[in-house]
Amino acid sequence: MKKKMRILWLSAISCNGNTHSFLNYPYMETFLDDFEFIYHPVIDSKYLLQDIVSKLISCDILLIEGAISREFKRADVSIVDIIEKYSKIVQKIVTVGTCATFGGIFRESGYKNTSGLHFDQEKQIENFKYLLDKTISISGCPIHPEVLVNTLYAIKKSTTLRLDGFLRPKAFYAYTVHNGCTRNEYFEYKVDNHKFGELEGCMYYEHGCQAPFTHGSCNKILWNEVNSKTRAGLPCMGCTEPSFPRQNLFSTKKNMSIPENLPVGVSKRAYLTLAGITKAFKIDRLEKKLFDD
Amino acid sequence: MIKLIEKIEGEAKLNFNFKDDKIDFVDVEFMSTRNIENILRDKRAFDALVINPRVCGICGHAHLIATVEALESCYNNLQLSNKAKAIRELTLNFELIQNHFKWFYLTMLPFFGHKQQILKATYPTQLMGKAIAALGGQYPHTSYAVVGGVVCEITQMDIIKIESYITQTLKFVEDNLVKVDSKTLLACKDADALLDFSGDLPEILIEIKKRDMLNHAKSYDRFIAFGENSFFKKGKSLKARVSHSISLKDVKESEVPSSFAKNVSYKDKYYEVGPLARAMVNKTTLVVDAHKKYGDSLFSRILARVFEILELLNHSKKLIDKIDLDEPSYIEPEFDISKLTSSGYSAVEAARGTLIHKVELEEGIIKNYEIITPTQWNLSGGTREKPGVSQKAMVGLSDIKTAELVFKSFDVCSVCTTH
Ligand code: SF4
Ligand code: SF4
Repeated sequence: MKKKMRILWLSAISCNGNTHSFLNYPYMETFLDDFEFIYHPVIDSKYLLQDIVSKLISCDILLIEGAISREFKRADVSIVDIIEKYSKIVQKIVTVGTCATFGGIFRESGYKNTSGLHFDQEKQIENFKYLLDKTISISGCPIHPEVLVNTLYAIKKSTTLRLDGFLRPKAFYAYTVHNGCTRNEYFEYKVDNHKFGELEGCMYYEHGCQAPFTHGSCNKILWNEVNSKTRAGLPCMGCTEPSFPRQNLFSTKKNMSIPENLPVGVSKRAYLTLAGITKAFKIDRLEKKLFDD
Repeated sequence: MIKLIEKIEGEAKLNFNFKDDKIDFVDVEFMSTRNIENILRDKRAFDALVINPRVCGICGHAHLIATVEALESCYNNLQLSNKAKAIRELTLNFELIQNHFKWFYLTMLPFFGHKQQILKATYPTQLMGKAIAALGGQYPHTSYAVVGGVVCEITQMDIIKIESYITQTLKFVEDNLVKVDSKTLLACKDADALLDFSGDLPEILIEIKKRDMLNHAKSYDRFIAFGENSFFKKGKSLKARVSHSISLKDVKESEVPSSFAKNVSYKDKYYEVGPLARAMVNKTTLVVDAHKKYGDSLFSRILARVFEILELLNHSKKLIDKIDLDEPSYIEPEFDISKLTSSGYSAVEAARGTLIHKVELEEGIIKNYEIITPTQWNLSGGTREKPGVSQKAMVGLSDIKTAELVFKSFDVCSVCTTH
């Protein structure tokens, strides 16, 4: 029998959304042939949570879901103590989701000093600094199951992953969510006629789509293998970024009619120049409904 | 004796008190909360559409639908197309269905000597996830329902795709859950007849009978459901006597000193919510028959939740047929929510039962937000004299393992209960 890699899935302050998103991974059978959970919040495991916190069960990878605060306990033991204990014996730690990576929504849940494992939003924290070399961050609210599982396979194969400044694998996070959106033509030509409930129009100019400055593969590796938020007509909420959740979602913050957050790598001046040029276009096809004759 | 109950979307502590070798009281304690209601305070109304699905990873979509309906009820005469209503109802149905599959194969089966069936849980739930994503962009955690409708525009091709996910899920039900064609099963009126079929559901029901558990897990025999749509009716059922005139005004939430979960009662009485309650209010023949024979027991509760999968799949097909693609998906409200000072509420049927949201807006800013989740109804921590629904169902049992089964038969969700 081939050796399975042993995983401990630990939930901190979370909604369990990552747990359930993971269950959508399409090739679960293969995955479970190659990995086993010494503990998982839903899947049956050999050990109970009480075993996990009272003993030290051998394992290879520690997955942490949810925001972290010393005040928050699992089976009466602080999540920080559990992480400290297991971090010593595992090869790798993976922060699963935006809460575990940056604090996310539950950074505001009222526990003292709540943050991600290494980051409090953009700011790197002192705690757990010694684990930086071991950690890979998979941000997203929730994580994309393929991004998580393929990262776990990379660990299993000892593949060297190139990580960005937030420890996220570039293979998934070097892209922006904007890349692959079916509305891209509307963005390019600054056709902003987006209305909810329509197939046409880009949501960057009025509806707060954060995709051009959000790192993630949501439009490249589709959700549930079929769709993405922006394809469906919902602005990207930037859930893979340290700033998630911003306030006043669904509307584009502007300074003197220029979006405050420009696409990654575009300067204000370049944006103005481009906007000037694209305004000269009047593309009939993009002004009309897609299915008009 | 205190036992930590795990894998209920978090944990709870059950403190069992025995008298003459039988459980005579169980204290239920939830140890943590995430304060979603506080997180929402002073945020913009629309931000609740993004935050609230994060109440729960398994029924976050119900929280989205409850949020959007609560915000819409802040308007006086907001228009919604039938198409948008149908699309929302479909995605909510699909979420209920995926939950029921997971509960049955991951949580219930292992209690009856079977191994946990991960692939049987994930295959149909993934199909339902795809069906939601086809409309909502992704699952879990979409915010595709907005005040005035839904953000997606569907084409005939999307409908064909969604229909095939439904057909494939129905086939899974027929090949695994109850091995009979779904029409026969839907028409089945006799709960005992199920024991003659083969399949994962009959196997468990037979096991319940064999183990002499037919009378297990009875509670107050009082049911309630507030969510209404083209399938679910609103009402209460007392020992099978159904009345449809109930009011949210009589629902009360109260704090419990030892736990992060608040209690919920209707006219000061505890009521059961969830698929069994819905089936009693809807007068679903098969479930009413099970109830007639075995009361509000483990048998009826399991049967009701699994049978709802089939009913919702069947109803979803009919809903799709009624969609008029020429209608708009979204009708812009007459005025912007940022100008709205008002209050509103909603009630939807989530997988585990009635979910209630209440909101107060001041110029579009959330001043107060209250959430009452289904599990709060079923898991209210009452006193010895007046135990909550699940507490009462555990009284009289002689071992903790069975008590855990009974507790989990209510499809406990810790993150929702404490939110
Ligand atoms: S809607 Fe968003 S993701 Fe799509 S093209 Fe526009 S900015 Fe990019
Ligand atoms: S599309 Fe945007 S909001 Fe959605 S999951 Fe991806 S990064 Fe998050």
